[in-house]
Amino acid sequence: MESTITTYNIERNDIGNAGTVASLTKRALKRQGLSREFVKTVTIGVYEAEINVVIHSYGGEVTVEKADDYIEIIFKDVGPGIESIENAMTEGWSTASKYAIENGFGAGMGLPNIKAVSDEMDLHSSKEGTTLRIRFYITEDCYER
Amino acid sequence: MELQKVLELLDAKQFNLECPRCVKEINYAFVCDLMSDALMMLKKMPSHIGAHGALVTGLVTNQALRTAEILDLETIIFVRGKTPTMYRASGLLFQEGVKSYESVLEEE
Ligand SMILES: Nc1ncnc2c1ncn2[C@@H]1O[C@H](COP(=O)(O)OP(=O)(O)OP(=O)(O)O)[C@@H](O)[C@H]1O
Ligand SMILES: [Mg+2]
Repeated sequence: MESTITTYNIERNDIGNAGTVASLTKRALKRQGLSREFVKTVTIGVYEAEINVVIHSYGGEVTVEKADDYIEIIFKDVGPGIESIENAMTEGWSTASKYAIENGFGAGMGLPNIKAVSDEMDLHSSKEGTTLRIRFYITEDCYER
Repeated sequence: MELQKVLELLDAKQFNLECPRCVKEINYAFVCDLMSDALMMLKKMPSHIGAHGALVTGLVTNQALRTAEILDLETIIFVRGKTPTMYRASGLLFQEGVKSYESVLEEE
């Protein structure tokens, strides 16, 4: 099978639509016969990253690439960036706004969880924006039996 | 515990009445108001069990629905601004044999 690439925009503070990318990705992967466990693992990562762009950034773009043996998702936003990646990766560390907390976010668990679920993760950030790349390997046992 | 019994116990109202394929029973519950807690803790829950879990939350938002969707949980119990309170609702469920997610994971 060829690889497919899908791109989505994410709007700042658009909490009502947050999770759309995760939900669509979930459906697409399920249709391809991937197992519920695998699909759940991927969508947890996508969802956490998507929410971060909504609540912490000025907005951005996501590309989801599905190849035969991996799925890679890249989140690119336009700022304000993460001051300390080390802090951001620490469980419980959060700068979430009151608005984000009222909507159920700000435990400071998103990035550590993304790291835990993904097979590869890199996070780069400057004042101009943040880029997060996550990759999940697709092996035979990722398919529903 | 049968969903019908849960409704009576908590004096709750069911929103999606027409859902023939939905689970009719819940076996365990997880309580949180921060979605990442659920996403972190429940990620290892096998999906076939996940369907019989309930997310108990005071967060009446799209994001609670999304979180349940992603975790393959079929039931959400909203307890905001009503009686019983979240603490009491959880206690009542526990008393009736609805397990905590950790005991379900241990059994697996
Ligand atoms: N795209 C981003 N742009 C700017 N800052 C970010 C971005 N993503 C994460 N951060 C920063 O890193 C911190 C930690 O992120 P993480 O996802 O781990 O926790 P959180 O989003 O605050 O809470 P949770 O994910 O548990 O709801 C955030 O509070 C924020 O300061
Ligand atoms: Mg987050």
